[in-house]
Amino acid sequence: MTAVLGSAGVALGFLASALGAGTLAVGLRNRRSPLLQLGRQYAWMVLAGALIAAGAMEWALIGNDFSLQYVADNGSTRTPLIYTIATLWAALEGSIILWTLVLAGYLLFVAHHFRRRLSDPLVGWALLVMLLVAAFFFGLMLGPANPFETVAGVVPSDGPGPNPLLQNHPLMAFHPPMLYLGYVGFTVPFAFAVAALVTGRLGEGWLAETRRWTLFAWGFLTFGIVLGAWWSYEVLGWGGYWGWDPVENASFLPWLTGTAYIHSVMVQERRGMLRIWNLSLLMATFSLTILGTFLTRSGVLDSVHAFTESPIGPLLLGFFGVVVLTAVGLIGWRGDRLRSPGRIDSPVSREGSFLANNVVFAGFAFVVLLGTVFPLIVEAINGERISVGAPYFERMTMPLGLTLLFLMAVAPVLPWRKASGELLRHRLLWPAWAATGGVVLAVLLGARGLAPLLAFGLGAFAAGGAVRHLFLAVRRQGWRGMVGRSNGGMIVHLGVVMVAVALAASGSYSSDGEFRLREGESATLAGHTITYLGTETVVTDQKREVKARVEVDGGKVYEPALSQFPFASQAIGTPSVRSSPIDDVYLTLVSAPQDEGDPAVIGMIVQPLVAWLWTGGAVMALGTLLSAWPRGRRRRSDEREAVESPIADREPEPAVV
Amino acid sequence: MRRGVGFWSAIAIGLVLAGFVWLLATRDSSRSRLADSPLLGKPAPVLAGDTLAGESFELETRSGRWVVVNFFATWCVPCVREHPELVRFSQRHLAEGDAEVVSVQFDRNDEDRLRRFFERNGGDWPVVADPEGRIALDYGVTGIPESFLVDPDGFVVSKIVGGVSADQLDALVAAAEEQREAAS
Amino acid sequence: MRRWGAWAVMAIVVTGALVYGTVDEGSARTTEDRARSIAASLRCPTCRSQSVLESDSTQAQAIRTDIVRRLQAGQTEGEITGYYVSRFGEQIRLRPDSGGVAGLVWVLPVVALVIAVAGLGFAFRRWRVQAGREVTDADRLLVERARGRWRRRPT
Repeated sequence: MTAVLGSAGVALGFLASALGAGTLAVGLRNRRSPLLQLGRQYAWMVLAGALIAAGAMEWALIGNDFSLQYVADNGSTRTPLIYTIATLWAALEGSIILWTLVLAGYLLFVAHHFRRRLSDPLVGWALLVMLLVAAFFFGLMLGPANPFETVAGVVPSDGPGPNPLLQNHPLMAFHPPMLYLGYVGFTVPFAFAVAALVTGRLGEGWLAETRRWTLFAWGFLTFGIVLGAWWSYEVLGWGGYWGWDPVENASFLPWLTGTAYIHSVMVQERRGMLRIWNLSLLMATFSLTILGTFLTRSGVLDSVHAFTESPIGPLLLGFFGVVVLTAVGLIGWRGDRLRSPGRIDSPVSREGSFLANNVVFAGFAFVVLLGTVFPLIVEAINGERISVGAPYFERMTMPLGLTLLFLMAVAPVLPWRKASGELLRHRLLWPAWAATGGVVLAVLLGARGLAPLLAFGLGAFAAGGAVRHLFLAVRRQGWRGMVGRSNGGMIVHLGVVMVAVALAASGSYSSDGEFRLREGESATLAGHTITYLGTETVVTDQKREVKARVEVDGGKVYEPALSQFPFASQAIGTPSVRSSPIDDVYLTLVSAPQDEGDPAVIGMIVQPLVAWLWTGGAVMALGTLLSAWPRGRRRRSDEREAVESPIADREPEPAVV
Repeated sequence: MRRGVGFWSAIAIGLVLAGFVWLLATRDSSRSRLADSPLLGKPAPVLAGDTLAGESFELETRSGRWVVVNFFATWCVPCVREHPELVRFSQRHLAEGDAEVVSVQFDRNDEDRLRRFFERNGGDWPVVADPEGRIALDYGVTGIPESFLVDPDGFVVSKIVGGVSADQLDALVAAAEEQREAAS
Repeated sequence: MRRWGAWAVMAIVVTGALVYGTVDEGSARTTEDRARSIAASLRCPTCRSQSVLESDSTQAQAIRTDIVRRLQAGQTEGEITGYYVSRFGEQIRLRPDSGGVAGLVWVLPVVALVIAVAGLGFAFRRWRVQAGREVTDADRLLVERARGRWRRRPT
């Protein structure tokens, strides 16, 4: 019954998107406005389809309806409610339901927001593109990735539950939806970019329209990535937060091009330049989300995340190919119209630095993409299996990261068109003092090594620049100096600096060790002392957990654990972390005592400044919110003015003091 | 002039993409298949240890016979699934005595569970313990089930990952014997 | 000269601190340090991308113990890595070899960097050269068309 309902929802979604796309296509071709107006109705139907499908699946999961193959493979009567709800996206087919749900939500939002302009071909084409993408994903569910397949033969009475790694922490519930809000969100600016290219309206109008969407999607993607890193740290038990695992890279790649885009867009708004860059970056961002989905879902590269091997691999790959060819084709076709009226006068200017920024980010993305797919390429060429792991990525991306920190400090103070040495010296004076102070302070605190010291110095440089900007803005405008694009952006930069410093510190100055301890024994590492107090075993429906009680620095007791799930092969470790602004003491139970009185092996890792990573992420999120805050200057009702005006939302430069 | 650059970049990107798509499209999935291993064609690494039955075992003493070295654990579902095939293979060659199976415990195993498993599911061959995991390291085992076919002269002929079948093993033995005959 | 004074001071201080911080790296490497660095360069065989140092799987633990044992027996880092490559293949190295086809992964980014810098240089030079361009008839036509479209836009 539920299967029928769910399948009906999927069918509804597919039909609505396919028919909607067709209707809009006819409407656009024959310029029939009434047909275009139907776009909104179709969006409602698509959302209805997605809601029905998602609702049916949740109903089946919560009600433990094991007649559905997906529930039989992933559900369990023993899983607590919050994880049962999250089981919707625990495996492939269900996560496509989530994708379509988010996409349908965005689709309706767009249709509603532009309801008074549905007859505008720009909006029509954008909706058409979004409907086509939705049709593809619904189509996947009708075919190879059917979530509502029923079990052939005997219906089992219980299931294995989601992968134990996905049941260890409530964060699992939030990470994928957040990531999808970002991932799928880039469909909107992509659709408008295609619309702009097709209609030939390549002025800045479509950019202004989609600026907030893009920022929204980017913000969620950033948050999703940071959350994923936090989950990796808190749950997976290996003491790290980023392993350059293919799935992590898959979410990082669109973030890189997306970040380049939201910066480079400012040059187009201001001077109408870098159009091809912007379109390419935007198309690349969307394409990379599809590529990322392909890489993680097709089993082509194994990883901690890759749940199954699936026939949808070729389909996703095909879709990726279509997207890229469309993008390249459109840009090639409209190439002459994309010629910009102006040119960059001097490399030492705001435009010049943004261009350099684009190049660095593109290089970053290239390196990450190359490293991720390289093992495949080598294996295809000569059958040899190699690995490209963290040492490669770290070595390659470090100089790029340092360059980005430098640009972050210098670019915001560069004026448009051309800079004079005197101006630069004046504006960069305080940040330079901050940089000097940063390096000296770091050396005094005991930091050694060229790379981390450079990171601290350049980070202080960038932070100094951001603080200076905010200080001047607040001095001029009061609390409103914290709000708006450039001010919010500076706050985001501060968050990035925190993250960069945390990466440098925790990457270079960690210590770890494993200690075999009997009850009451202690061990010391990097200035922290742990005392093993004994174990406690807790058995629930969900799992059997052995917790070790460990006292840290004579204070609170932490409980790293090893859990055994009934249907899983290996015990899953749960770390326990003592966080402080200075460092984290990360504890794992490597092996539990076999019998009473036996020693336990406790793993201990001390990493400085890890808390700054999460705080920095939160600051970035805050800055994104502040950045999107309406400044009250634009009159929302007069949208046409926004479309036609080439320079939207222009902030005056802080006066040179 | 600028259009030219754009045009050629588009062509270049298109070509790279086409190559990439072709490459990925020709990847095969990781089901049961013959794996590459640096050990192929080399003498089998030392395999010595105590068996479940309490005896001591050494692979060298088995020279003159084909040996299937199978890495196993009771908690490994595909291993459990391939077990009957190993039983079948072992029984087929029982009469002639020209081939046999040896299991090596992978990772942690409860000995009682192991014993009960073999009692219930058959398999009358040595099950060697590997307490420090050294045998698994010496053989370069990356995940189970993995099996190595060792020829009567003690050389590793094949490595199979992802579960074997009795027929597959027989085919491999036959092919290897042909090669040996052709070589000699 | 006064405007450069502060900058000169900062440059000297920063350079000094960086030099001090880099040169003063610290004591000789213990067996533990060496074991850690070898473990960090090997991939845990049962994981996808974690290193032997990071992973807690039994294989990884066995390898860590084995590395220490070999170091104590006097083997060099090259010999130890070589042993593992001889058993598991090149894929156990996290840092791809710089020789052969695999070496491309190191070379291509450098090539990309060269192309990028060259491209930027080209672009800046061309923009500077375009400073004295004449207005052609094609350009006039383009402007006329655009103005025409603007006039015809519904109000």
